[in-house]
Amino acid sequence: MSGHGNHVANSTWMRAVMMAGMILTVGIVGFAVLGVFVAENKHHTWEDEHHHYEDAKEEWSAGAADLSDHSDPLYIAKEEAHNAEVAAHLSYLTYRVAGVTMLFLAGAYATFIGLGGFLNASKPKADDHHDDHHDEHEHHGSASPIIFAFGIMVFLWGLPDFIVACKALLDDTVTAELGMLGISVSGMLIMVVAVSNWWFEDLPFIGHGEQIATSYPFEGDHIRKVGLWIFIMSEIMVFATFFSSYLRMRTEWCTKWALDDGGFAGCRTTSDLELTASDYLRPGGGKVDGLGESVGDFWTLLPGGINTFALIISSYTIVLALKTAKNANWEAPKGFMGKLMPTRKAAVRNYLIATLILGSLFIVLKLVEWSHLVAEGFTIGTVQGSIFYIATGAHGLHVFIGLVIMLYLVFKADTIGFDEDNAQGIEYFGLYWHFVDLAWVVIFPAFYLY
Amino acid sequence: MGEHAEFMGKDVYFWNFIVLMFFTLFEVGAVFFEGIPKATVWGILIVVGLIKGFGIAAFFMHLKDEHKWFNITFMFPWIFVALMLWGIGLSNPEGVTGLPSWCTPDWSYATER
Repeated sequence: MSGHGNHVANSTWMRAVMMAGMILTVGIVGFAVLGVFVAENKHHTWEDEHHHYEDAKEEWSAGAADLSDHSDPLYIAKEEAHNAEVAAHLSYLTYRVAGVTMLFLAGAYATFIGLGGFLNASKPKADDHHDDHHDEHEHHGSASPIIFAFGIMVFLWGLPDFIVACKALLDDTVTAELGMLGISVSGMLIMVVAVSNWWFEDLPFIGHGEQIATSYPFEGDHIRKVGLWIFIMSEIMVFATFFSSYLRMRTEWCTKWALDDGGFAGCRTTSDLELTASDYLRPGGGKVDGLGESVGDFWTLLPGGINTFALIISSYTIVLALKTAKNANWEAPKGFMGKLMPTRKAAVRNYLIATLILGSLFIVLKLVEWSHLVAEGFTIGTVQGSIFYIATGAHGLHVFIGLVIMLYLVFKADTIGFDEDNAQGIEYFGLYWHFVDLAWVVIFPAFYLY
Repeated sequence: MGEHAEFMGKDVYFWNFIVLMFFTLFEVGAVFFEGIPKATVWGILIVVGLIKGFGIAAFFMHLKDEHKWFNITFMFPWIFVALMLWGIGLSNPEGVTGLPSWCTPDWSYATER
């Protein structure tokens, strides 16, 4: 990286603080509307349905001649009331979790972009100490990745205490001291400082001084690009580990899929069933309600389906951002799109914002879906749950990290701007983002449809 | 980059996007129609996954236009993926008898006395 930080006015960084304020406002409004107002209404509906269910249960236990008769109209009425209660609960969870996740995402985005902007705006101007003999095209290494890695180490060092302390904040039965948050919070602060310094170094980069590899086999290629591909290589291995351990176990589990396919020794009846996430999510899955109907239908698969489309569309929008940035002869489109994207700079920024929104939608729907699964009894406490939550959680973490980086790209697109000289920032981030899409192409059918 | 190649006035990225969307609908649809045999659905999921993976890697990640060392860098870890999948075949309960002989070891030393 060749940035010096001395070509960007401190006032530019203050725009990051304003951006953080706007994002936080959107998050608070989203939380208030979805997580409080709508969720409260849904909570009342859930309470009503719960009372209906309790009444139906009482009628059934008092009036049914044979409690084991599942064709008794009172039993059917009780189970239908139970299904309505479950549906009302899941509806409440949808809005509550969506609102809370929006607030969390906005808080995280605002912390990174706001604190980063504030720290960089507070730095003394580098021009004051500028050496006239210093070649502005000279490239030099950055210590930021090392500081960032150190921050992660400190964060992980304090993670066990951090988890207990967080649980204590949510659950009165768990006791913890506030000091237990200390080490992890220090680690997070180091990470934020490292990231802000990283951005400080990159923001002035306008395409000069990209480091070029000088030896075979990548001679002449950008070192950042080569490094990113090697990083992707290691990432493929990480996801391959999740995927192969899942498939190894999956082929041995007695799933509904295996039963429908004829079963095997020890897997002949529904009493042998082991439930996977797809048994809760896909139509005809193994998880059934009291009436013997599969709980999986169009609506349970919908969040995963929307997420798949969201990632594919976001892959396309980031390609459009790159293509627009590289096109020196770009012309504003006509009509409504022309008003949205009057200039090349605005077009690149807006395509990146679209990508950011789609990625954020992915996180929101992912957590909504998790909350539904946990409410239905599919927890991380089982082997099936463990591999599902770890694999999809690791993927979600990659999406989240990508979104924090994208936040910075939006900021850069809005201030310095991207053009044909410095568009490689979008291109290399795009490689990472496409990889995240690629991983989902494998995870979605394996964990949701199979 | 291959964005200059156009078909019906749209570039390769647009058509790749359309293909990815179509095949995603196709794989979700295959699961919705419960009458389709499971082995067929399994085959559809794998083939569609391969097509989508190729579309993302070749066009969105530009591997189609990169020199061979980037392609080798990308393909190298898949050797280990294949090995791990092979390992599943070796170690699952059906693997010993259910897979073709060329990819299973001779287990007779363990099963016969």
